[in-house]
Amino acid sequence: MSVFKRNYRPYIGQPTSRATRFGVLMRYSVADVWSSRITVVLFVLCQIPTLIMAAAIYIMNNDTVKLLIAAQGGGTPNFTINERYFFVALQGQCWLALVLTAWIGPRLVAVDLSNNALPTILSHPISRLEYVLAKFAVMASFISAVTWVPVLLLFSMQSYLSPTTWAFAHLHIAYGALLGCFIWIILLSLVALAVSSWVRWRIVATAMVFATIFVPAGMGGVFNQVMRTNWGTLINIPSMMFTLWYRLLHVDLPRFSTRNDLPTFAMLVALTAICSACAFALNARIRAREVVRG
Amino acid sequence: MAVIELDRLEVRLGGRPVLNSLSGSLSGKAIGLLGPNGSGKSTLINTLLGFHPPAAGTARVFQLDVHEQSREIRTQVGYMPENDSFIGNMSGIHFVRYMAELAGIPAPEALERAHEAMFYVGLGEVRYRQISTYSLGMKQLVKLAQALVHGPRLLILDEPTNGLDPVARQRMIQLIRDVRDSGHTQLLISSHLLRDIDETCDEVLILKAGKIASICNLEEERRANRRFIELETVAAGEPFGAAVRSLGCECASFPGGRWKLVMPDSVEIRDLYKIAAEQGIQIRRMNYRRDSLEDIFLTAMDSKLGVARVGV
Repeated sequence: MSVFKRNYRPYIGQPTSRATRFGVLMRYSVADVWSSRITVVLFVLCQIPTLIMAAAIYIMNNDTVKLLIAAQGGGTPNFTINERYFFVALQGQCWLALVLTAWIGPRLVAVDLSNNALPTILSHPISRLEYVLAKFAVMASFISAVTWVPVLLLFSMQSYLSPTTWAFAHLHIAYGALLGCFIWIILLSLVALAVSSWVRWRIVATAMVFATIFVPAGMGGVFNQVMRTNWGTLINIPSMMFTLWYRLLHVDLPRFSTRNDLPTFAMLVALTAICSACAFALNARIRAREVVRG
Repeated sequence: MAVIELDRLEVRLGGRPVLNSLSGSLSGKAIGLLGPNGSGKSTLINTLLGFHPPAAGTARVFQLDVHEQSREIRTQVGYMPENDSFIGNMSGIHFVRYMAELAGIPAPEALERAHEAMFYVGLGEVRYRQISTYSLGMKQLVKLAQALVHGPRLLILDEPTNGLDPVARQRMIQLIRDVRDSGHTQLLISSHLLRDIDETCDEVLILKAGKIASICNLEEERRANRRFIELETVAAGEPFGAAVRSLGCECASFPGGRWKLVMPDSVEIRDLYKIAAEQGIQIRRMNYRRDSLEDIFLTAMDSKLGVARVGV
């Protein structure tokens, strides 16, 4: 029908594939996230440390630049690009990713829940699992763009500028950063989606994302002090991630060695439990809101 | 072909049976779903959409099993929920396009059809406004637009006239009739308002306490009603009765010049007027029997549970 005719007619073309519809959910979610200027500002801010660290890598691999800096009285830059350098880069990017997540996470699900849009969305050929996976994929893509992607770009840059042997000798940095980021992405995405599905107000949801990460950390610290143990660290997400990251990157950090006492397996089990709890909460909320109850 | 087939369908929510052994087949162009609060109307709609798995029995929409083939069913169904159900910070056109793409329409066609649907429901001039700024009537219309933008074979409308003023209600009813008369789409309309169902539907399913109280073919009811007539006359005696009988009508006379007639299809009202004119009889009042939907509904509510099939 043409607009001016204002008649009703059926659709007789070919419907799109199942994968395309999954992509539709992602596309509209990404567009909604980018519609905010704050998202753009945060995203740019998240990339600034990477640019600074890339500049440092360039300087450390370029003798001419080092001589120029020294000639201008800046002193000779004196640090090495090693595991510790990438550990700092990884940490910085991952904590910036938390800020970005706390902003965009609540936009993804809360916007569908605030006006009860789920019954309409899920009455289309989209399952609850596909809906959650699409939102998760959007979160994961945003966090990826500020975590493992810039860290691996730095690694590639260093590999390109340094002798070939450096890259082969430090491949564990790339693997470790990738794995560490994947754990962080899964954790952050599920926390953000679960929180945003339960908290209707965006600002409160943003605060809740931070609270979910940091409040248990404080409680774990209190537990450790009272019980004179270290097992309270299993609810201390920042501490667990810190330990996991430096173990994955094989960083030699004597001054942090006191934190290196919990088994990696125990920390992974704790993180899996936290992720499972978030997935359960998210599923319960979406399931409860997918139908109009009469 | 039957639109909806129910075969001993039982649905439990939280362990409590909400729909209990529903059986029946519905094939009308527009099917009304009636029942008091808590009778299971919304649960039945949600079950047909595949949200609730049957605890026992089966339900089929266009011969597709609601549990096993819910994705195929949702492809062919448009659903307008009862309550507010939209993304408030989206414009009307953006929301309808989004829903069209989710229904499986490619993006360029989805945009075109979204514009068409918005104009069709009468929101063409406000289609770029955020839905959160719409009035209640506009929100109902945008829900209707998203439900029919992909040209579904079955349009499920849950309380479509909820909260509408008389003008908006009349407009909604007219749109529903248009869609029904287009012949492309069948409708399942759930409503508390008997008048809405009466004006739009040709078949009605009445639920009571999770069971079918009645399945009624309104179209046949109306046709039957048209043949049953009550007359109030002055001076109509046995010759009038004989003349009417000679036309093929069954009739009975009552004191006070009252007559009750059942007319065959070949007899028209004007034949009665001719006889009255020839015999010098005044016809002072003529009533069709009005076994209205309200009567059917109240009878169904009063009856013991069990399928009462009226006019089928």
